[in-house]
Amino acid sequence: MALLSLRGIGMRYGAVQALSGIDLDVTEGEVLALCGDNGAGKSSLVKILAGAQAPSEGTMALDGDATQFRGPQDALRRGVATIYQDLAVAPRLSIWQNVFLGSELTRPPLGLLDKRRMAEASRGYLARLAVDISDMDTPVERLSGGQRQAVAICRALRWDARIIIMDEPTAALGVKETAQVLDLIRRLHAEGRTVILVSHAMGDVVAVAQRVVVLKGGRKVADRPVATPAGALRPEELAQIIIRGTA
Amino acid sequence: MGGFFTRYGAALAGALLFCGFALASPVFLTAGNLAVVFKETAFLGILAIGFTLALVTAEIDLSVAEVASLAAVVTGALVHGGQAPWIAICAGLAVGTACGAANGIAVTVFRVPSLIATLGTAAIAKGLGFMLTAGVAFVGRWPTSFTGLARGSWLGLPNLVWWLAGVGLAAWVLVKWTRLGAHLVATGEADEAARLAGIRTLSMKRLALTLAGACAGLTAVLLASSLSSAAPGMANDHFLYAIAAVLLGMCMFEPGRPNIPGTLFAALTLKVLGNGLVLLGAEYYWQDIVLGAIILASVALSAAGMGRAPFVKKLNFRTGK
Repeated sequence: MALLSLRGIGMRYGAVQALSGIDLDVTEGEVLALCGDNGAGKSSLVKILAGAQAPSEGTMALDGDATQFRGPQDALRRGVATIYQDLAVAPRLSIWQNVFLGSELTRPPLGLLDKRRMAEASRGYLARLAVDISDMDTPVERLSGGQRQAVAICRALRWDARIIIMDEPTAALGVKETAQVLDLIRRLHAEGRTVILVSHAMGDVVAVAQRVVVLKGGRKVADRPVATPAGALRPEELAQIIIRGTA
Repeated sequence: MGGFFTRYGAALAGALLFCGFALASPVFLTAGNLAVVFKETAFLGILAIGFTLALVTAEIDLSVAEVASLAAVVTGALVHGGQAPWIAICAGLAVGTACGAANGIAVTVFRVPSLIATLGTAAIAKGLGFMLTAGVAFVGRWPTSFTGLARGSWLGLPNLVWWLAGVGLAAWVLVKWTRLGAHLVATGEADEAARLAGIRTLSMKRLALTLAGACAGLTAVLLASSLSSAAPGMANDHFLYAIAAVLLGMCMFEPGRPNIPGTLFAALTLKVLGNGLVLLGAEYYWQDIVLGAIILASVALSAAGMGRAPFVKKLNFRTGK
């Protein structure tokens, strides 16, 4: 059974039909890439998956149960965490403040913040991602781009998210940092978590994803595994699918 | 950032100022003069703590002084009219809190930028103050159960100092040690990231502006109690001082961020400075000139070192809403 399945999802903004008839099954533990040119409907679909907006039509099921997210927080609580490209972290806040943003730990009897426990837990999450930072009080703005993505992922781990949606995680990064982020995705995969990777970078997609879904003009035009009997999908092939809209 | 000088430089300068006046004026260190300085610091400090809380959520409350004046007039009118002190006190606090809540609603519901919304509230509060009093002050021999609030002393320290300590401690614990405080800070630091993390950022802004109003109400009650009088515009002298205290406070302890210890220490520094200038025989207008220079220098310092601070964007009218 699919972990998350969409049936006939459509999204209309006034006269603009951003998405129509999207069927999608996300299998537990896979890394699924969501590709498409600008305006193909990727961000609309991400917003729906993240609970940031309700679809105009269609249904969604989580673990086989029909579901509607009432907001980003609701989606998060039910195990779907979304990491937005620019909005993932609060730059001037520390690592532990970012990891526990909106869900801080407190300590009885006074209910004051348990800063030490939050710092230790953050250190633990980062260690799981094999990211080496010693001072959890460091403001996130002083970290590298790859490390920032790691902090954002730690917040998803703090919620024990089963599905982690990453919106263009490597768009603003250099070569080395991109490699770091791809490594983070592989580690999430190794932990058995489901990752939906929204990306323009064909090379990244074929490097980490098991399956690629391509959108064009608000419709799903391709849904295929990266590895095929004829060999792995090549980035150029993927680019052709995105441009032509046919597999 | 983070270096000793950035953190403590401004505070050190304040301490040096204190020592300078102590050496230059024989009157400065006398118990009587220090008591005056501390009392003045109490009014300013409580008002500025309210301003700080609003600024923590990246909203600016320009109405604190006019709201305090209005609340003082309401309190004074009730005491003067023979009402029980507790009624007058509650009324003063309620007026301040209500004005703060009105600011909060204007900013979060009607989406008026706080710079403009609070300016409007300030003008309305000013007008209401004159309407209630017809421009005349309430002065009288008020019951000691009311004047004792601010005038007495406890354990050798003036009551006003205890009030300031209490409010300062409460605000500090709120901001640094509670979940609510963490959400206020996150709202000010990264509005959108905080919202996506499930923080109710609009409620946080509303709460902070309401608390700023409540602080103005408390300042008003204490002012009326201390002076045994109430007049329209009576808290206005504290307006520029409060802004200067918060901005100078942002150059201390946690550079680039509105913070309670910084505000308190800056309030004391400014009052020491004002007092010292008078003692050394400077003309009254020097206070305004020096205050203006401090405001400019503080913000320049913050903007140079910490250009990404949300409040700097706010001051530039780039609200990003």
